[in-house]
Amino acid sequence: MPVTKVLTEGIGELDLCSMDVYRQRGGYTQWQRALREMQPADVLALAEKSGLRGRGGAGFPTGRKWSFLPNDRNPRYLVCNCDEAEPGTFKDHMLLESVPHLILEGMLIGAYAIASHHAFIYIRGEFKRGYEIFCAALEEARRAGYVGANCCGSGYDLEVTVHRGAGAYICGEETALLNSLEGKRGEPRLKPPFPAVEGLYRKPTIVNNVETLGYLVPILERGAEWFAAVGTERSKGYKIVSISGHVRNPGNYEVPLGTTVRELIEIAGGLRPGRRLMAVQPGGGSSACIFEEHLDWPYDYESMAKAGSMLGSGAFVVFDDTTDFVRAAHNLVRFFAHESCGQCTPCREGGNWMERVLERLVHGRGVAGDYEMLARVSGTITGLNLCPLGDSIEPFLKSVMQRFPEQFKSRIAAVGATA
Amino acid sequence: MTQREKNFPELLERLRTQCTAIISQYEEKRSALLPMMHLFAQYEGFVSPEAMQAAAEMLDLTQAEVEGTVSFYTLLYRRPVGKYMLQVCRGLACSVNGAEDIMAYFREKLGIGHLQTTPDGLFSYEEVECLAACDRATCMQVNLEFVYDLTPRKIEEMLDAMRAGSYEVAAMAQTEKPGETWSIPQDAQIADGKKSRGADGVARPNNAGGVGDASGVIMLDNIINRKVYRFTGTAERALAEPRALVDIVDEEAASAGH
Repeated sequence: MPVTKVLTEGIGELDLCSMDVYRQRGGYTQWQRALREMQPADVLALAEKSGLRGRGGAGFPTGRKWSFLPNDRNPRYLVCNCDEAEPGTFKDHMLLESVPHLILEGMLIGAYAIASHHAFIYIRGEFKRGYEIFCAALEEARRAGYVGANCCGSGYDLEVTVHRGAGAYICGEETALLNSLEGKRGEPRLKPPFPAVEGLYRKPTIVNNVETLGYLVPILERGAEWFAAVGTERSKGYKIVSISGHVRNPGNYEVPLGTTVRELIEIAGGLRPGRRLMAVQPGGGSSACIFEEHLDWPYDYESMAKAGSMLGSGAFVVFDDTTDFVRAAHNLVRFFAHESCGQCTPCREGGNWMERVLERLVHGRGVAGDYEMLARVSGTITGLNLCPLGDSIEPFLKSVMQRFPEQFKSRIAAVGATA
Repeated sequence: MTQREKNFPELLERLRTQCTAIISQYEEKRSALLPMMHLFAQYEGFVSPEAMQAAAEMLDLTQAEVEGTVSFYTLLYRRPVGKYMLQVCRGLACSVNGAEDIMAYFREKLGIGHLQTTPDGLFSYEEVECLAACDRATCMQVNLEFVYDLTPRKIEEMLDAMRAGSYEVAAMAQTEKPGETWSIPQDAQIADGKKSRGADGVARPNNAGGVGDASGVIMLDNIINRKVYRFTGTAERALAEPRALVDIVDEEAASAGH
């Protein structure tokens, strides 16, 4: 089985929330080495060479993202996105509560790479426990001189601020996150300007996911070649996949990118006895389903895109033959309708209307034309919004409507009945 | 004046140093708004109007800016809540693993629905979106502490322990008696005499309730039901009663024979 432990090494066995335990295993040596032996540009080059791509959902190459920062503008900020709320994703939650020092070290290295002197971590409001754990870790690291003025005696100043959200999925979108961090409603901003040019407090800002920043530590330790040696052509390295749904051992599994869909299901213990696979949602609530014919496809960015879906944040939800896909679609559409920030009419109204239609289908009270109308409205919403939330309503629904049309059509009440 | 309101100035003085420390962490002080609201709620059990006003003064914001921001976030309760906030995950991974039954069990045991508080003020109940613990489905949070792998028996024991005051998670501060709900849209619905019945009772299609929303509804209904509406109401009425707009057009449509 291809399970590999890089970021997840020691989790469940050691108390890695303790700085002493983390240091005994080499913790903070990469941060010290970066300060002592490397220039920010060296760290950036290393990230580029490693092929590391953003692990939060978009999969954008990390080094290239950093290179968009204008050279001559200061201050500049690094923001670690720990607002994990994509349905089916639970890796950052685990990392935050299990390896806070690793996240912090990754943040310090990332901030140094972009020559920032102030880094922030935005933690989902619901992760109150994780917030407390991270704050305690930060205090320990501050006392040890890793954070603050003159880090490790290097002359480099780097402050870290922990910011807790207050319940809003949309704040995982980077510009909504920045608004929220500025003390405003978490409404996404129009892009461009991109955060790299005008982000927090209108200053150049890089927003990176927890897992992305975490991988900087082993990349510094073992080299860009080590990371780039695994994975596929354009999906390098490892990924923590959050496997849930109808598998026997749901959990977070760290694997090389390119592990097949079938292997992932097997890693998580396979299906329950006597059950048949119906679909997998491979990249969180925003992604389209893949099916039996994709079982031997590699799980990487390009293959999932080719299969009509995406790798997203690595939330891998398995559905067996007990699944009611009308209910499942209603569940996700209701989620997006609930989480819409309300700025764009197609997303705000479209989501709510689709939720109502799906609700009547769930109760077997659909009316003639509902099936076609769902397809038409979801297609109308897509592409007309400021941020990807509105565009996330369609993929799952469309994929299961095409695959299991009878589940939808059988919920349409007899002719003559009204909703 | 309630006891809480009388106590507020003293609380404010007690927390002022902490507020200053929070503000100093940011380049622009408005960033301190959410952390300050979390801080006050920790002592008052909810985000009180006085706390919002104090934040507005300390951060040089208008009260509208503060309330407009606070109202965006589901964890900032602007009305008092129960001592135990029970938030059950209704996300997809929990849902395919029995969350519907777990939620039905909660509703039955507590005798209340989504976004409601028990009359004794002990429990508030909400069905929330994915809590990022899908490997331990079905899951919930009690005062933001996770509880995993829910079963009816586990729930029963948990509720008993809370009633006996022996539950492992501390009760939240409660400085004012909670009403039937802390959700402001639902509150309005209850005041209208439309009693909420669980999750189905949430106002739709949009809780924001502006003219823009109604126009969006009409636009989409045009697409969805292929209906053409003729609206003859006055603009004044639309502004005064934005949510009535939909009903007007429905009546119009009905009388026009659609």
